[in-house]
Amino acid sequence: MVSKKKKIKKTKKKKIVKPKFQSFQDTILNLQKYWSKQGCVILQPYDIEVGAGTFHPATTLRSLGPNSWKTAYVQPSRRPTDGRYGKNPNRLQHHYQFQVLIKPSPKNIKKLYLNSLRSIGINHLDHDIRFVEDDWESPTLGAVGLGWEVWCDGMEITQFTYFQQMAGIECKPVSVELTYGLERICMFTQGKKNVFDLDWNNEGIKYREVFHQAEKEFSAYNFEHANTDNLFKIFGMLENETKSLLDKKLSLPAYDQCLKASHVFNILDARGVISVAQRSEYISKIRELTKSVGSVWLNSQS
Amino acid sequence: MSEFFLELFSEEIPANLQKNARKNLLQNFKDFFRKKDISFNKEISFSTPNRLLILFDSIKPEISQKEEEIRGPKIDAPEKALNGFLRSNNLENKDLYKKENEKGVFYFAKKPAKTIKVFDLLNENIPLILDKILWKKSMKWGDFELYWARPLKSILAIFNNKNLIFKYYHLQSSNFTIIDKDFEDRTKTFKNFKLYIDYFKKSKIIIDQNQRKKFIETKLLKISNKKNLLIEINEKLLDEVTNLVNKPNIILCKFDEKFLKIPKEVLITTMQFHQKYFHTFDKKRNITNNFLVVANNKDNKGFIKIGNERVVNARLSDAQFFWEKDKSNNLVKQVSKLKSMNYFKGLGTYFDKVQRMRRLGGMISDELLISKDKVEISNTICKVDLLSDIVGEFPELQGIMGGYFAEFQGFDKDISLAVREHYLPIGTDSKTPKKPFSIALALTDKIDTLVGFFGINQKPTSSKDPFALRRSALGVTRLLLENNKEFKLKDLINYSYNLYLEQGFELSNKAIYKDLNNFFVERLKNYMKEKDIRLDIIEAAISSYGIDNMIKVYKKALTLNKLINKDIGLAVISCYKRTSNILDQELKNPEFELSNSTDPGLFKNDFEKNLYKKIHDLRKYFTSISKDENYELSLKNLAESKNTVFDFFDNVMVNDEDKAIKENRLKLLQMLRKTYENYLNFSSIESL
Repeated sequence: MVSKKKKIKKTKKKKIVKPKFQSFQDTILNLQKYWSKQGCVILQPYDIEVGAGTFHPATTLRSLGPNSWKTAYVQPSRRPTDGRYGKNPNRLQHHYQFQVLIKPSPKNIKKLYLNSLRSIGINHLDHDIRFVEDDWESPTLGAVGLGWEVWCDGMEITQFTYFQQMAGIECKPVSVELTYGLERICMFTQGKKNVFDLDWNNEGIKYREVFHQAEKEFSAYNFEHANTDNLFKIFGMLENETKSLLDKKLSLPAYDQCLKASHVFNILDARGVISVAQRSEYISKIRELTKSVGSVWLNSQS
Repeated sequence: MSEFFLELFSEEIPANLQKNARKNLLQNFKDFFRKKDISFNKEISFSTPNRLLILFDSIKPEISQKEEEIRGPKIDAPEKALNGFLRSNNLENKDLYKKENEKGVFYFAKKPAKTIKVFDLLNENIPLILDKILWKKSMKWGDFELYWARPLKSILAIFNNKNLIFKYYHLQSSNFTIIDKDFEDRTKTFKNFKLYIDYFKKSKIIIDQNQRKKFIETKLLKISNKKNLLIEINEKLLDEVTNLVNKPNIILCKFDEKFLKIPKEVLITTMQFHQKYFHTFDKKRNITNNFLVVANNKDNKGFIKIGNERVVNARLSDAQFFWEKDKSNNLVKQVSKLKSMNYFKGLGTYFDKVQRMRRLGGMISDELLISKDKVEISNTICKVDLLSDIVGEFPELQGIMGGYFAEFQGFDKDISLAVREHYLPIGTDSKTPKKPFSIALALTDKIDTLVGFFGINQKPTSSKDPFALRRSALGVTRLLLENNKEFKLKDLINYSYNLYLEQGFELSNKAIYKDLNNFFVERLKNYMKEKDIRLDIIEAAISSYGIDNMIKVYKKALTLNKLINKDIGLAVISCYKRTSNILDQELKNPEFELSNSTDPGLFKNDFEKNLYKKIHDLRKYFTSISKDENYELSLKNLAESKNTVFDFFDNVMVNDEDKAIKENRLKLLQMLRKTYENYLNFSSIESL
């Protein structure tokens, strides 16, 4: 114990240093390496548009049932309503999340998490790391979880959630989910005020070069040009497709249709053609589908 | 004398749950000690985000239990029952004796007096007491069965310097706690509370939440004073941050001055609600760009200050971008855009809603005798801010932003204020609009909402009210009562209903008037209950006048409630009850048709004449008053008839042998009762 105290004193004497700069891609690679060492299956992003890493079947479906499971992956998250035509320094309709899911939640998960921050250049002892209550609910997934937003010096950098329910089914055992907002974290470690100025690869490529055009064009699509009549029709088709696949007990393809429907709904929402009330109607439609998918998937496991 | 001390270490427990847990846990232990007759001196509970503590002092280490007689099974009960009884009470056959009571002959035994160690009792009972804790929200983790607010990691339990030994689900009590300086994997042993608290003091951790709160408050004031800043400490925020930290460090930060041009509600919402910062004002009460952060760590490298400033600057630059873009966006020109914004399925778009509101508002303006034009304009533009990005970003500022836009675009002050306030009142402590144009718009919006949602049967249930209809109806109630505006609510509802029909919306709820009436009655009742008006008085007032006369209902009830136990109230109620008793007796078996008049020619004595005259005077009084009734005076006048009424009852036999005289006297009483009911129907008032 004595020696540890001394160490702490030593770091105090060091000159003021910035959080360790890491390129966007290094941050991803470091998180992957770190969680790989913790025994996680490192997956690749799911190839369907989703609003958050939680929708990846490796989280949604794998959090159900008794089997242990550890995974980590990057997931592009599409949130049409958050698009700002590339003009807002903090808002994107497409961003990256780094997602970790561990079932059952390990006792030392907080330690594992804080250590992971070190791997991306944030030493938690130098910062004000706070766990602020955030009870999470995803109405479309029929999911409930308790946990926190993790704040670093006033900025939310991670969602930390213990799943209690998924697809309307009680989670037993309980999984813990960590969702890192990669752009935010990098803006923090790189000291950037504008997301488009993020250094992508240490070789001069900026976030702007990779994504700015996409932000402009997709904002125009999401807000102005998406053909809503067609989308309403497509939603109905996807809904029916999900149901018929469920009848055939094909939970994974059914879940894909359900995810597509959910994204169509998000675009319709961004187009402003869905009222408050319709919203809840659509959300409950998607939830019902997800619930059925969850129970079909769970049955297929035993 | 011993000390009992328990510390539950967990992952961060939300602020509001800590508060409940402290109280709840302490109470459960107190109840336990009382039940077991264990005396103690001092009881305290503390919490930090990670630690929940209970401390009891001066506990007797032993309690003595007196000899007691216990009853066993009946003598003819099966042997198994008897053996069970012996085993569970540690008895032998020779201890038993038979005794008869009213239920039969039983085995009895004497349990000798003995001393019990509190140490043992605690070991046995703590798990049960912990299980009683009521979390508003709790969770499971890993593959454990325990429900706790957040994962519980260790239990430190000490009695009389020794650690207690019990199991609670998967956890074992111990004499150490987790020291979370680094990674929650170091532990430290403690023998008593003093050593414990001293240890944490050394590491600048304040375990006592009251002390912590005081510390934060003093620091906030000290720093703002030094900088010549004013700070309004929001109690709720202070409580919250107190429960979010254990090692408070207050840091003065600044955001970029250029953001001071944004409306202050946006600044305050960002700082207070989103970031949990304390905003400051200058001596002229203008908001400043200085704000205070309550951090949970020393800012040795300056990261914390820079980080927080950067966060708030980023948030405000978003807000500024939206504000600049939205503020000059012509409100009137945007109204037609509301056509693409659905309000609710079956109730049309927001455009449809404001069209209805315009007309309903027109009707209300006539009642309030204010400019119809201005009311119509405010109705037309009031929902346009919903299209703006800034309201998209700060939904809680709907209305307020609309008000700013209207002001910026040069609308009349009455109009911009009405737009600003039209969602009010929101909570119980929210202010109610007072200006006529604000009242008109706030009323219109709420009535349209209520009629629409009730019309399509989207009524709230006991547990769910997703469209906040209770709040709307309570809002209407408060707008009327707190502004002393009497409206025929039923007319407004009716007119609003027809406006929906005119637009071609089918409102399928055929019982809408009844439903809404009951709904308003409930809100009015609750409102009056909050003012501590007696339930029977509330019921009597509402059943006498209904929702078309809210002011009357409220004021009459309030006045009666104030006077009911005074001479005036007692007199009124006793007169009314005496009269009613006789009339009700008669009406059980009606012999006569009791009209509301009497024949003075049949009076036999002065008592009848006096009463008749009194009734006449009272009637004159009640017909003379119009809208501005002085309710206290009305009750006083009724009360002044007490002597006359009592003289009548004490001296006159109503039940006269002569049927004509009896009928006439009953009619006189009927007149009296009706006259009293000019105030309200007192029949359901409970007399003393």
